[in-house]
Amino acid sequence: MSKVRIISTLTAVFLFLVTLYSCEAQKAAASQKTGAQLWGENCIRCHNIPSPGDYNDVDWETIGLHMRIRANLTEDEIDKIVEFMKTVN
Amino acid sequence: MKIITTGGLLLALFLGQELFGQAFKPSKTQFMIRGYGHSGLNYEQIDDNDADLSFVGATFAPIFLFKHSDRLLFEAELEFELEDGEVKVGFEYADFNYVLNKYITVRAGKFLLPFGTFVERLHPAWINRLSTLPLGFGHDGIAPGSGIGVELRGAAPVGSGKINYSLYMVNGPVLVTSAMDPEEAGMLRFENFEDNNGNKAVGGRLGILPLSNSSVELGVSFYNGIAGDAGGEYENVAARLYAFDFSYVKQISAIKGILDIKAQYTKSNVANANYYELSPGDTIPTSYTFTNSSNAYFGQLSYRPSMASGFIKNIEVVGRYSSLSTPEGAEWEQEASQVAFGVNYWLSWRSVLKFSYQVTESVGGHGNAGSSRRTGMYAHWALGF
Repeated sequence: MSKVRIISTLTAVFLFLVTLYSCEAQKAAASQKTGAQLWGENCIRCHNIPSPGDYNDVDWETIGLHMRIRANLTEDEIDKIVEFMKTVN
Repeated sequence: MKIITTGGLLLALFLGQELFGQAFKPSKTQFMIRGYGHSGLNYEQIDDNDADLSFVGATFAPIFLFKHSDRLLFEAELEFELEDGEVKVGFEYADFNYVLNKYITVRAGKFLLPFGTFVERLHPAWINRLSTLPLGFGHDGIAPGSGIGVELRGAAPVGSGKINYSLYMVNGPVLVTSAMDPEEAGMLRFENFEDNNGNKAVGGRLGILPLSNSSVELGVSFYNGIAGDAGGEYENVAARLYAFDFSYVKQISAIKGILDIKAQYTKSNVANANYYELSPGDTIPTSYTFTNSSNAYFGQLSYRPSMASGFIKNIEVVGRYSSLSTPEGAEWEQEASQVAFGVNYWLSWRSVLKFSYQVTESVGGHGNAGSSRRTGMYAHWALGF
């Protein structure tokens, strides 16, 4: 049991530190961010950042709607991300 | 002659543009096949027994997306895999999604349950950083994977962060009785295609992303419902499950790479009930009961030096610890822990070669009161498309 407590405590301290670091790193709310920023920050939460060139504009609209629902992204976020993908693909 | 040639070229260009433009004019509705596949080599050994070395997988999991409009999407996933000498087909999900407004999407059909994050977001082979699932998921797992019903979900900005939510009603779990399977009496099965008691399970998840860069997500989930058959001995046996999940993903310049941490704790409580066993030589079964509580958790950390140069930036190291504890006194009583380490090489953002080593130590399990140590080495190739 003590081993579990030690691991839990170390984990909590570690998570606290990385959260602090991230607090410092954050700059702007999502509404002020560009599609490129949101693409870099949100896709990576589950998988690697996708390459825009791998799909065409129409595909990105379908993928965008799918990811909006599956990954619980806000409307503002997905609109900007899809627009960015369509611009640079 | 020159005029005729030039005129011909212009006509050809005009016709070509018309034909080309027509051929690639996007339609209002879109159909897409996405999905993933994987294959690999497994080496597994239990205690000092002979080891198994086998090519496995060749799993093909197509995901069908039909975008009917900017608000309506239908999604479905099949999973073809080779298992026990035959092709096994899984019907993972098939559901309608309709975006009601900025904050609410309604979903209906068979869908992956947002109970924690592993099943809904992380289980596909090209997303899962290791070749195996953590303890507590998959076969003999305690976490629900999918359900048939209806769900409301969405996300909204809150301050500089955001929240996401899900609230669903599904057919719910089925309690395994001694008559169904004596070795699994008291377990829950979540593939309840036709409700066995008319009581719908209610569940949901709330995710909080407190930071504007979305690097941290904390989630809490619940899932409650009656599990026993209506009109029978177990008609009041209820199941109450909850889970906590954590995610931290960020590219950190100080360590020149991406740090990815995932964790989930799952707890399952099923009301006490009597089950029956037939001892050797007996003709009348004897009843027994136990405190039907299980828990499972995992923590995973991976690091990829994405800011390095050359092939180094494609390498990722990953470690995961997971644990499963099932009820003492049950036929499926088990205490298990697992440690897994892996090295991945990313061929592209969606194609990965995974090499891992894993040790699982367990006591108990189906009809086995002894302890065992299972070691495994895995080399898999996964591809998302």
